[in-house]
Amino acid sequence: MTTLSLTINGRLYGPIDVRAELTMNDFLREVLGLTGTKFGCGAAQCLSCAVIVDGDDGTSHTKPTCVIPALSFNGKKIRTIEGHAINGELTALQKGFIEHFAFQCGYCTPGFLNEGQVFLERLERKPISRADLEKAIVEALDGHLCRCTGYVKYHQAVRDVILADPGRYLT
Amino acid sequence: MRPSRRELMKWVTASGITLGISRLSLADTLGFLVHETLPGRGVSRPASGRVDGVAKATGAKLYASDFRAADLPGWPGETSHALLVRAADATHVYSGLDLERLGKLAPPSVVVTAADLERIGTRVPEFYTGDLFCPVGKTPLYLGQPVALLIFDTFDAFDRARLALREDNFLRFGAETGPVPGANYAAFRFTRVAGATPDAPDIYSPIQEGWISPGFLESSGRPIWQPLPVAKGGEYVKGATYGEDIRAALARKDPSILTLARDFETQSVDPMFLEPEAGLAWFDSASKDLKLVLGVQSPFEAGSAIAFLLGEAADAYKPSRIDAQFAYVGGGFGGRDHTPFPLYVALAAMFFPGRPVRLAHDRYQQFQGGIKRHPFKMHSEIGIDRATGKIVAFAADHVLDGGGLMNYSTSVAVVGATGATGIYDVPKVDVTTVAVHSRGVTAGSMRGYGTLQTMTALEVLVDEAAAALPLDPIEFRRRNALKVGGRTMTGNPYSVSVRTPEILDKLDRHAIWKRRAEEKARAPAGVLIGTGVACSMKDYGTGADCSLGTVSIDPEGRISIHSDAVEMGNGIGTALANRVALHLGSIADEVTVAQVDVFDALGLFTSGDAYLISQEEQDTAARDTGWVPAISSATSASIGAHVGTQAAAEAARVVFRFGLWPAALDLWGIAPNDPRSKQSDEAFWQDGYLVMSGLSPLPLKAIAAKAHARKGVTGAMAHAFSRWAWSQATFAIGDQEWTADIDALAIQLGSAAFTRLDRSAVAFPPADYNRIGTAFSSLCGTLVRVEIERATGVLRIAKAYSVLECGQVLVPEVVVGQAQGGFAMGVGYALLETLPPFEEGPGNGKWNLGQYLIARGSDLPLHDLEIEVLPPFSPKEPPKGMAEVVMIPIVPALLNAIFDATGHRFNALPVTQAMLKGVLA
Repeated sequence: MTTLSLTINGRLYGPIDVRAELTMNDFLREVLGLTGTKFGCGAAQCLSCAVIVDGDDGTSHTKPTCVIPALSFNGKKIRTIEGHAINGELTALQKGFIEHFAFQCGYCTPGFLNEGQVFLERLERKPISRADLEKAIVEALDGHLCRCTGYVKYHQAVRDVILADPGRYLT
Repeated sequence: MRPSRRELMKWVTASGITLGISRLSLADTLGFLVHETLPGRGVSRPASGRVDGVAKATGAKLYASDFRAADLPGWPGETSHALLVRAADATHVYSGLDLERLGKLAPPSVVVTAADLERIGTRVPEFYTGDLFCPVGKTPLYLGQPVALLIFDTFDAFDRARLALREDNFLRFGAETGPVPGANYAAFRFTRVAGATPDAPDIYSPIQEGWISPGFLESSGRPIWQPLPVAKGGEYVKGATYGEDIRAALARKDPSILTLARDFETQSVDPMFLEPEAGLAWFDSASKDLKLVLGVQSPFEAGSAIAFLLGEAADAYKPSRIDAQFAYVGGGFGGRDHTPFPLYVALAAMFFPGRPVRLAHDRYQQFQGGIKRHPFKMHSEIGIDRATGKIVAFAADHVLDGGGLMNYSTSVAVVGATGATGIYDVPKVDVTTVAVHSRGVTAGSMRGYGTLQTMTALEVLVDEAAAALPLDPIEFRRRNALKVGGRTMTGNPYSVSVRTPEILDKLDRHAIWKRRAEEKARAPAGVLIGTGVACSMKDYGTGADCSLGTVSIDPEGRISIHSDAVEMGNGIGTALANRVALHLGSIADEVTVAQVDVFDALGLFTSGDAYLISQEEQDTAARDTGWVPAISSATSASIGAHVGTQAAAEAARVVFRFGLWPAALDLWGIAPNDPRSKQSDEAFWQDGYLVMSGLSPLPLKAIAAKAHARKGVTGAMAHAFSRWAWSQATFAIGDQEWTADIDALAIQLGSAAFTRLDRSAVAFPPADYNRIGTAFSSLCGTLVRVEIERATGVLRIAKAYSVLECGQVLVPEVVVGQAQGGFAMGVGYALLETLPPFEEGPGNGKWNLGQYLIARGSDLPLHDLEIEVLPPFSPKEPPKGMAEVVMIPIVPALLNAIFDATGHRFNALPVTQAMLKGVLA
């Protein structure tokens, strides 16, 4: 057993004793009961399990949790789907997903939401041109698998959130 | 699903058997203690979106895999975990499990094996016939058959054990036996010979003569299609004689007839819903209550199956009550309809009494044990009059592999065969089909089952035929399309709109089609461009579909809806809310789905079997008010919009007509003898107000308050049943007679409890309708343009267009979303997905994503996929199922485009990059 401490959605967890081989996905779902993060394949192929890792340098990226030991998140700050809305106020991307009917069964939604949010934040730091937008969305979301939707409405939702506030995301 | 299941064979071999899913004798599937009420009262949400939108976008606990005991009120706090160990060998004797190798760190608290089931006296439900666990000393029936259920007290022990089991093989096997032989599941012959003119009666058809099956060779179990007299009974001989005549004519090589004979093979694939199957159960040994949380498409069936499983078990293992809660489903596509997984969840709890136990597949286990799509081998022959371009005859032979357990194989065989003529009017048809047993992973229901396979083969064949005539492929389809009133292969017409000409016109006029030659010509060096078209007509419904719904409105005008339909991404909750809103003027504040326990007020009961019942039996049974042919159906077969919303819609009509309308009249001051009091059909809702010409619009809230004050009808609960037509019944409501497409009704007056109304008359659809293949159908046509890199075989879908019709569209965004999802699944099926049979396939427990490819965003024309949905044929056209048909034409359209680009016709799926590269080398 080794102790694990980390910040999830702004709240400090730990120190908690965990086994070295316990995956982050099981830590979230079985230990903490945070089941918003899903388990899809256990092979880092579908990314329904991806969470946001916030770096100290102000950048963020997503990381699958199903094959990665919980201990590798020691000291990290992460965000999960449960942490996007603040005081019940949905983010622009959450609203966008809902208004676009982006998801169907919704099981892949946590991964898409996290990836989309990281993408938006990246554009805020480093805007891109309108002409490059669709291609950039495909590249950002492409690792995430969805079996219901054909992806179209996810992409449209992300695009429309950006186009609704072009000064923030586009050059 | 379809008239088949296990019953269909009985229909053929022993008609008149009475059986069925009766009202649960052991226990009712009671109590949804945790209602997943969405959107939920007072929850703020965006102005548009699914009713479950906020919950899904915020990570709420919704799915069966999300729940642990601590989440459930009244349950113990700790959750134990179970592991289903499956055999990756089906040719050697299973000799046991070497659990000592798990070591001291991960000892299971309980090990459940076949011997334990034998000891306690479980029964396997007939649908799942076959050992739930392979006994020691026997060869597993199929790859992936469970051998043991290991139950671990703690998650840590479970986690260690599953990792160890994944790394090493703990199962011992002895002598080689080869695969366990098993009888094939079903064989049918569908033959139709039309009369001399379209209006003339058929000379022979399944509707007229009944469905027929051949005899089987005792030595091999193979069907005997000919020589004819060997078959059982004269019925087969008569049909087969017509069938053989059709084949003989096709073989005659008449120069005026173009004949083509082609083979086509489709592969096994996995539904690959994102949430692997999971469940949670707790047997409270003190109260003897078995409580479960499950996620299936068929809640009523799952509860019934568990009740049957344990119904005659030893006292300590027999619950007195089963309380199953059904959660939202993380994707279904048919693969969660009649899956045996809930049985193992229940067993886990029964063998670890007092402790909540969770059983959840990981993805390897889901591949190994989950339901698969049937692979088909097909031989098709078509004859076309060269002068007219019209099809004169079609014959086909289908062989589909059902794997180790029967599941839906019989039904898939029937659906595939009866759909084999697609959108076409064919005067002479002869199709044989046999669903074979093998040691493969069990195949069952999956989106578009049977027809995806046979219509793909047909649309590819038709494309080749049109080229050979030669005739424009769309013109060929136009000349041969089944028209309104035309007869299907079983000899009945569709009883819904048939809009093939419109769909073909749309395809013909679309830029992708019109510019096909131009685009092909302008292909850059090293790139081949091709355009393909296909059009498919797909049944929806099963021929015994049920709908349960309750609608009520409170004095504040807030609407609640309860339904037995399952939300698996199909948007049924939103569709319910929208369809009810048509009658009550507002979107519901509360929608609960997957409920089968809240309709007790209807006092429903059933007997016999909806698919097998004779007319006499039905007429006798129908005299008991409360009897219905079946109580609740799986959410499958694209029945969501058409069936799933029917009872709620009819309940809403009753609430409006006998609650809100009289209240509105009261508010308007219109007396009962005023002619306007009879004109409820002329009132309509706009922005939450009831509008009637010449009168002040009334807000819903005021009307609802008045309805409650008057103690009018403020809630209605209904049951509906469809056997290719709705049951219809008459009820006395107040002093009026009300006739509607329902067969049971209860109403609520003011805030009183629901009271059942005895029907004064009822007409159930005739029992003979069970001979229909399908009477409900929707249509989808697709165009695709592909670009193929000659050097690498890389295929890119440059543009695509699907046009469909589905009657009244309840939620346009959901319909378009289903079409987009169907497109992606079609692309995966055509180009990417495949599971090899047997030892190299998923039954070996080594398959996962990465090896198994499904379509990603970058595989699809995300910004160049156009979906067009035709408006309803008439304002009163009801909703039609569409979630399956939108997948089907994608596959042949892609193959036809690949031919157009490469000049090569592939006759097996999937067509991979390597295969394309191979033919282009």
